[in-house]
Amino acid sequence: MEKSKTPLLDELEKGKWPSFVTDMKQAAQKSPMAEDLLSQLELSYKDKIGHWKHGGIVGVKGYGGGVIGRYSDRPDLFPNVQAFHTMRINHPTGWFYKTDALRNLCDVWDKHGSGLTNMHGSTGDAILLGTTTEHIQPCFDDLSAAGFDLGGSGSALRTPSACVGPGRCEWACIDSLDVCYNLTMEFQDKIHRPMFPYKFKIKVSACPNDCVASIARSDFSIIGTWKGKILINPAEVTAYASSDLDIQKEVCDLCPTKCMEWDSKELKIHDEDCTRCMHCINLMPKALRPGKEKGATILVGGKAPIVEGALLSWVIVPFIKLEPPYTELKELIERIQDWWDENAKSRERLGELIKRLGMRVFLRGVGLPAVPQMVKAPRSNPYVFFWPEDIKQEVK
Amino acid sequence: MSEELKKRITDLFHEKSKGDKKMFYIRDVTKWLPDEDRHAIQNAVKVLLDEEVLVYWSSGSSSYIMLPEFFPKEEGTCS
Ligand code: HEM
Ligand code: HEM
Ligand code: SF4
Ligand code: SF4
Repeated sequence: MEKSKTPLLDELEKGKWPSFVTDMKQAAQKSPMAEDLLSQLELSYKDKIGHWKHGGIVGVKGYGGGVIGRYSDRPDLFPNVQAFHTMRINHPTGWFYKTDALRNLCDVWDKHGSGLTNMHGSTGDAILLGTTTEHIQPCFDDLSAAGFDLGGSGSALRTPSACVGPGRCEWACIDSLDVCYNLTMEFQDKIHRPMFPYKFKIKVSACPNDCVASIARSDFSIIGTWKGKILINPAEVTAYASSDLDIQKEVCDLCPTKCMEWDSKELKIHDEDCTRCMHCINLMPKALRPGKEKGATILVGGKAPIVEGALLSWVIVPFIKLEPPYTELKELIERIQDWWDENAKSRERLGELIKRLGMRVFLRGVGLPAVPQMVKAPRSNPYVFFWPEDIKQEVK
Repeated sequence: MSEELKKRITDLFHEKSKGDKKMFYIRDVTKWLPDEDRHAIQNAVKVLLDEEVLVYWSSGSSSYIMLPEFFPKEEGTCS
């Protein structure tokens, strides 16, 4: 038997789960780039060091992002990955493709790149891995002809992304797809021409289950919610009661605010104490539904651990109606970005800036009132302090 | 678009690039011109980028702006 050229990588094919090594080997049968990529990665595992050089080229004519430049530091050994740039492609909102669109995308990538993709990256974009500098413009031209555009990278607005929302999901309280598409089209210039202090991410989930993890992963999180009573279907509650579900133990006892009551016949919810966490609705979808008055909560400041520590987004607008053309929402985003752009240091995310200057400075800067929902942890220090002049007014 | 502002920005890039640092954040540029409107500076820089008087360089996560002669040829740093 012929000895394997990638004994270390082969280890990653063992086990019952899919392996990217297997995928890369498959691509390597057609693509010399993918072949050299495998060999270079094998060397990295051997040397215990990355063999990529970082950064450089940014895009195509008129764009300042969307292409992420990568070069091998051993082009002598792996000439086919001497340049191995990533292209970020703005995904269709909610990641809905027709097969012909997917085929088109893959054909373009077979023609211009390594054939390897990452569908999809954590930004949401379709990530095309590995092309040469000469191919970037022609690849972009072919992608444009197929109806695709580059996504955001660098110090720009990143490609907004949304959960599938009303496209598939009965829990959707807002049209996350329409909101996301609308913002993407409105802010094209901010996506393609980096002018911000650092990256800025917008993500839209249509209910508090937050399937795009907008709280953890975006500077500006839009999360669908409702006002008023959770809708209860008593017949279905009875049906759940006679099923495997232990309503007291699994639903009521785990309600974070303990606002549910169950007497083995009737389920009561004290909606004024409900934080709309979705737990009960998730467990009893046939019996419980989000309330009728629907809208969204806006949160800001989420980010991954890079530079400073990780932050979760926190509430700045407890409830906002979201209807096209979303003028109020767009104006709020513009005001927030402008305040951040004015005040941030280079590579300082919105959440870090708010931490540095304080929530009340932020609120004054963007013209929002302080409300109780902004308190992050009750009974710790008050989160929003009064301005001296407000206190004087009170004393009078 | 103010030609004068474009020229001031271009001159500043030449002047500031005399040091070791050749790549600048857009934030550096707005700091060089504290009296000018931030948005006007950004718009002027966008025009200069279109005219290829200035070019972008990016690590993937952050973007820098520089004179084309200082664009590193297939070089990389990790930042
Ligand atoms: C042991 C090997 C690897 C592991 C465990 C790994 C794991 C991951 C994970 C967990 C993510 C995030 C996935 C997500 O966004 O949902 C990711 C993203 C990514 N990976 Fe890998 N990966 C590996 C190898 C590679 C290789 C060899 C390449 C390129 C040649 C690559 C390029 C990328 C890129 C470009 C992204 C980011 C996409 C974006 O920006 O959203 N990865 N990887
Ligand atoms: C010393 C080596 C490296 C360091 C310190 C480094 C650091 C970083 C950091 C801080 C980010 C930003 C993450 C974020 O989105 O918040 C990033 C993004 C990224 N890196 Fe690296 N990296 C290194 C090597 C590499 C290599 C070898 C590759 C590929 C061959 C690579 C590909 C990427 C890509 C595709 C992104 C996504 C860019 C984006 O989100 O805009 N990196 N890297
Ligand atoms: S966030 Fe809510 S509406 Fe969106 S897909 Fe998830 S459960 Fe459905
Ligand atoms: S949504 Fe959450 S907080 Fe509200 S009643 Fe259900 S479990 Fe309790």
